[in-house]
Amino acid sequence: MSYGLIVADVRKGTFDERNLDLIGFCNILEVDAYILLPKGDYDVDLSYFKRVIRLNMEEADFLNPLNIGAIVEKTIEKFGRPSIIIFSSSSSGMEMASYLAGYFNVPIITDINGLSKEEKVFFKSCYSEKVYAHLRLKNEGFSVLTIRSGSFKQHANKKCEVTETEEMDPPTLSEKRSFLGYVEEEKQEIDITKANFLISIGRGVGKKEEIAGYEELATLLKATLSASRPVIDKQWLPKERQVGTSGKTVKPKVYLAMGISGAFQHIAGMKDSECIIAVNKDPEAPIFQYAHYGIIGDMHKVRDKLKELLKGL
Amino acid sequence: MNIVVFTKRVAAAQEEELKIVRDGEDLDISKLPFKVNDWDNYAVEEAVKTVEKFGGQVTAISLGDKESDEVLRRSIAMGAKEGLLIRKDDPIFDPAVRANVAFNFIKKHNIVFDAIFTGVQAEDDQFGVFGGYLAALLKIPFASMVIGIDEWKTDHVVVKRELEGGMSERVRIGIPCVLSIQTGINEPRYVSIMGIRKASQVERKVFDGSEYMENIRSSIELLRWSYPPKKEGAKLLSADIDSACRELLEILKEKGVYQ
Ligand SMILES: Cc1cc2nc3c(=O)[nH]c(=O)nc-3n(C[C@H](O)[C@H](O)[C@H](O)COP(=O)(O)OP(=O)(O)OC[C@H]3O[C@@H](n4cnc5c(N)ncnc54)[C@H](O)[C@@H]3O)c2cc1C
Ligand SMILES: Nc1ncnc2c1ncn2[C@@H]1O[C@H](COP(=O)(O)O)[C@@H](O)[C@H]1O
Repeated sequence: MSYGLIVADVRKGTFDERNLDLIGFCNILEVDAYILLPKGDYDVDLSYFKRVIRLNMEEADFLNPLNIGAIVEKTIEKFGRPSIIIFSSSSSGMEMASYLAGYFNVPIITDINGLSKEEKVFFKSCYSEKVYAHLRLKNEGFSVLTIRSGSFKQHANKKCEVTETEEMDPPTLSEKRSFLGYVEEEKQEIDITKANFLISIGRGVGKKEEIAGYEELATLLKATLSASRPVIDKQWLPKERQVGTSGKTVKPKVYLAMGISGAFQHIAGMKDSECIIAVNKDPEAPIFQYAHYGIIGDMHKVRDKLKELLKGL
Repeated sequence: MNIVVFTKRVAAAQEEELKIVRDGEDLDISKLPFKVNDWDNYAVEEAVKTVEKFGGQVTAISLGDKESDEVLRRSIAMGAKEGLLIRKDDPIFDPAVRANVAFNFIKKHNIVFDAIFTGVQAEDDQFGVFGGYLAALLKIPFASMVIGIDEWKTDHVVVKRELEGGMSERVRIGIPCVLSIQTGINEPRYVSIMGIRKASQVERKVFDGSEYMENIRSSIELLRWSYPPKKEGAKLLSADIDSACRELLEILKEKGVYQ
């Protein structure tokens, strides 16, 4: 029987929870899960896997996309061909997956967040979550897939009776790319993860000049101002205020999202808030699917009306 | 420093209704506004900034229908020297096929470069694949999610890559290489209509895309489109802004975040 080869999502000695989605994915497809892991003391329940392949290499070399092709070649030599090679849709997962697919010139589907097992169809979102594409692979050999975190972890519930563990020496490491170190994070003035009321603004804010009005609203409501990525990219607010996968994960009592569409990378950072209120002029904005309350309308009008009401109190 | 930038013209659906038509077979994007892919705007800026500093030239390449000329003109207005259109009228969905076409194009025309820049992902298909796939086909090194270039030397660059949760790492990578550029790396310059008009005077070369498609076959079948499954969804407050805001304040009081 063929197997699914999971390339572990590891970082700084930790085995990320995102790996559970990869295990769950294999379980749904009923393929044996094999995992590639670098050396290190990872806190991981190995009984999820039929086979654990421990590579005698440092984590940073393991995460180098230039090495993954040769590692997979060696794995195939030893254990035969997998049907799928799976990564999580993390920064390094995406980087390695695209390079590996090109290395073998095989098909790749990224950011899979659902599937229909009977039809062997995978779903991925396109156009900022507005639609899903239903995709089927029609190649003979293996394919490379990346999995959206949170999509399949509830299926990571099967343990293997026997787990084989093998050590493998890595192939010659590439010299064309090397890890120099992690970048020290800058000192922070405020910590949005501690706030219990966040007003978060997105690209809908439109102009830099509008920001002051939201700062004022936040002051009046004793809330903290945060933002989606485009606002931070434009440097209208400091990086420490970014909510999302590459920013902060927040869980306030109330998250008031204004002019934010609801892209996955943003949702992942705020979906566990106790109460989500969205203001958006587009009734079809995906954020309304995650919000508890919604206002369909212009965010500036809502801001100004709130300020008027608050000042009148 | 010769830098090739891949730039894509995309339909922007963030603020628009996106209709699925023909029983799920197609998307009607005819009414959507088209624009340069946000990520590519940053990639072009980074390429232009780099050659302004170290010399060399930027070549912008787009794969698409004839309207894609628009993003080439835009790149030239920003400072690219040349714009090349690999013309293919029906869009190619499969990123592996697009990367193979780009690979064949680069080989056939013997395009020389020190680096190729792409965006991290395209706003429409959101694959995030093209750059890495192309790098592997070219057998040259790759780094993605680049949010800073700290050092350019004749044989290598040092880049900062974005990871999760505000973390980032620094890697050294040999030249020639492919870098996929993340938004926020710079502040893309403003492009005026005048600037684009002026750029139109620079000739853009057009190549017939089908010439680079030999022996490339897609192994991904796009069966249909669907809307994401609806969850319970938000309880909508009044359509009238005044009442909606009063209700909103009540909710804030109820949740205890505002008295
Ligand atoms: C690797 C990677 C990491 C990322 N990390 C993050 C991250 O950490 N955080 C993050 O947020 N994003 C992140 N992103 C980007 C993410 O994919 C989206 O591009 C981004 O979240 C979109 O931000 P937005 O919703 O503000 O903008 P858009 O998607 O452009 O949405 C703007 C919304 O505002 C609405 N609007 C416009 N004008 C008004 C108005 N006057 N009144 C009311 N509504 C209005 C529109 O209808 C639209 O829904 C990442 C992307 C990648 C590839
Ligand atoms: N048709 C295309 N024409 C030009 N560049 C493209 C095209 N498709 C993808 N790219 C480049 O590859 C990046 C990632 O695209 P994707 O893998 O489709 O998400 C984009 O930001 C572009 O730089």
